[in-house]
Amino acid sequence: MNGHASEDALIRVLFDLASDEERAAVQAHLETCAACRALRDRLAARFRSLDELDEPVDVPPVLLSQVATGLRRRRPFGVRGAWLSAIAAVLVIGSLATLEHLVRRPQPEDAMPPVASAPRSSPPRLQDSIMGSVGLAKADAAIEEVPPFAPASAIELNVLPRRDALQLTIYNAADLTLVRETRELTFKRGWNWLQLMWANTLIDPTSLSLEPLEHADKIEVQQLVYPPRLRDLGRWLIRSEVSGQVPVRITYMTSGLSWRAFYMGTLTPDEKQMHLAGYVRVDNQSGEDYENAQVRLVVGRVHLLDRIADLARRPQPYGSPIPDRLHSLRRAGDLSVWFENGDQDGDKLLFGMDGRNAWGMMGGMGGMGGFGGGLPVPKEIAKEGLSEYFLYTIEGTETIPHQWGKRLPSFEADRIPVQSLYKYDEERWGGQTMRFLSFVNDSEHELGQTPLPDGNVAVYRNTGQEGHLAYAGAMAVKYIPVGEKVELELGAAQQVKVEPVLMDTKTDHYAFDPKGNISGWDQIDTWRITVTNTRTLPVKVEVYRHFGTTYWEQTNAGDFGTCEKDGADAVKYILAVEPASKKTFTYVLTTYHGTRRENRR
Amino acid sequence: MERSDRGLLEAHRGGDPQAFAELVRRHGPAVLGYLRKMTGNADTADDLFQETFRRVHEKAHTLKSDRFKPWLFTIATRLALDGFRRSRRVTFLSLDRTEGPDGDGQTGADCLADEAACEPVEVMAKDERRRQVRQAIGGLPPRQRVTLVLAYYQRLSYPEIAEVLGCSTGAVKTQMFRALKSLAQRLPEGVGEMT
Repeated sequence: MNGHASEDALIRVLFDLASDEERAAVQAHLETCAACRALRDRLAARFRSLDELDEPVDVPPVLLSQVATGLRRRRPFGVRGAWLSAIAAVLVIGSLATLEHLVRRPQPEDAMPPVASAPRSSPPRLQDSIMGSVGLAKADAAIEEVPPFAPASAIELNVLPRRDALQLTIYNAADLTLVRETRELTFKRGWNWLQLMWANTLIDPTSLSLEPLEHADKIEVQQLVYPPRLRDLGRWLIRSEVSGQVPVRITYMTSGLSWRAFYMGTLTPDEKQMHLAGYVRVDNQSGEDYENAQVRLVVGRVHLLDRIADLARRPQPYGSPIPDRLHSLRRAGDLSVWFENGDQDGDKLLFGMDGRNAWGMMGGMGGMGGFGGGLPVPKEIAKEGLSEYFLYTIEGTETIPHQWGKRLPSFEADRIPVQSLYKYDEERWGGQTMRFLSFVNDSEHELGQTPLPDGNVAVYRNTGQEGHLAYAGAMAVKYIPVGEKVELELGAAQQVKVEPVLMDTKTDHYAFDPKGNISGWDQIDTWRITVTNTRTLPVKVEVYRHFGTTYWEQTNAGDFGTCEKDGADAVKYILAVEPASKKTFTYVLTTYHGTRRENRR
Repeated sequence: MERSDRGLLEAHRGGDPQAFAELVRRHGPAVLGYLRKMTGNADTADDLFQETFRRVHEKAHTLKSDRFKPWLFTIATRLALDGFRRSRRVTFLSLDRTEGPDGDGQTGADCLADEAACEPVEVMAKDERRRQVRQAIGGLPPRQRVTLVLAYYQRLSYPEIAEVLGCSTGAVKTQMFRALKSLAQRLPEGVGEMT
């Protein structure tokens, strides 16, 4: 080798890139050259800085779950297709029972709060069904006293089976839905971790609750842990004395599910009766797919201490202003604490009321669970009274994927007697004649069994010609209690007109004060009102006239129907006008001013 | 006895739900570490990680030999290189993650809380060195970066890297040498190194 070793040659030797000849030559030279050795050491030290990034990597459980979830979703059900789209509440169970031999780390206080001492009875005899179903139970082995710490990388992930049962109770007034689902979880005897993820959903993590439906005395849900630096994820620590499948109920609140009612009325050709159909549309923007869910809808105002959507978006589930109250909720029924005036026994509030009075069978929509599939089985929406709240239960189950909406028939009532009425009131509607349709939510009108929720009402008229429908109008109605009259404003009428014309105006009966100034007078106006009906049906018209003062007298002449006072400063004429005809009447209005009022109080 | 990677993949194809989880558990950390070093972005690495195992799942039938690891890194490398090409057009930055740019999930507070690095000055110095190393590696052309990361961090042999990249061992060595020569100028001085 001639001269010193080059930097290139030293790099090749350091990283096993040199040929045998070059390596031998460089090594021989290094033995005799301190300068080259120093250069080699400097290079080696510099390359050692690469080790700064050579640290073990733990795959976050969230990522592992996403991989598992992605695989699961790519199998036959690619409901939402997007591999990276977030998971809605995916449950994975991490059982540490088989990992107890792994490294036991000290338990950091922030990651694992102290565990309340659990009952440590001798291992019970397991039921045959549980033993038979798994055959893994070691009934004679003692369960560790202290729950194992579960480092993220040591959790064994198993995708859980699908939900066995699902119930949604949607509280529209508060953007709040109570979700109750039942799953068959496989427990191993010992300590089990159950992991729930709610990324990209609107689930309120503070509301999570889990209870075993069987072996309740042998399965103890000890705590719900929110691991640090892992968002949208919580783990239940569960001590199980049984091994095998156990049904559990998981309850939580979510936002993003909503429902609204709407109605379609069809008037008979003579407009004396109406067929009214009610529908409910359920929309799911919660981020989670809900399959085969029993759907229940609650009408009534709910008072929330905090908005669920806000809770769901918080980076940490704890630290909420309400967790103490919410964490104390053991069962879904305890929701009642959120009601302003509700019964404090939530189960009673939700389920214990009598008077279930299903009514109205619907057609059209339906199908058991799923869009566009299944048999066209009519669904029934049953209603229950809950004090001032009402609970509507949709018959059967429904599948409502994320971002989908679904319309369900609610009720149908035929031959509801209705009154069609036209009103003219310049103070309220200017020069337009407005059309109204009224009926009462009572049994005489084929209704009255439940209140009717807020919603839009569209009214059509059957023209009688081959069943053709003509649009009559639409409006939004507020909650209609039982027994209350509903008056639907259908908009401006085109075929019924009211035209007031001022025919004459004059002043008279002047009064003077001692100085000869005018101190009072009468104004006398003569009005002619013409009501024209160009429809083929007789109509009833109310004409309101306001006088702007309470000191007035009036005389009517002509075909004015009936006239009655409407307050202190107005009158109302009620006329029945035959088809394709008009009615004309006049009135003379005398209003009193100044001292002319004195004797008329 | 521990099942081989190939055995697990076959079991997965046969419907064993645990087999794939075991594969992910076994190789996931290496793949994620590789992708984080390749991309320098934790979010991107997470995405590529998922995509890698999705492709493993989909292409499981194409693995004919027992060389699962090179095959796995071939998939990850292709995704990473595709990512480079895309990232020239647009770069996504996550605004809601607090971790460092190297994607190690460590915040400054975490480092300070680390028992092994209780001296703030030391923490800062270490952070600075890490930043310089990341910068040096990030400045390498993609194929040199792949070669260096696979060889140095993933401990793949040069023939294995050649298998991943689909080239000769000599070509791999050339890429490696060029990468090292470049890094020799860019890497921070080693601890205790005198200049």
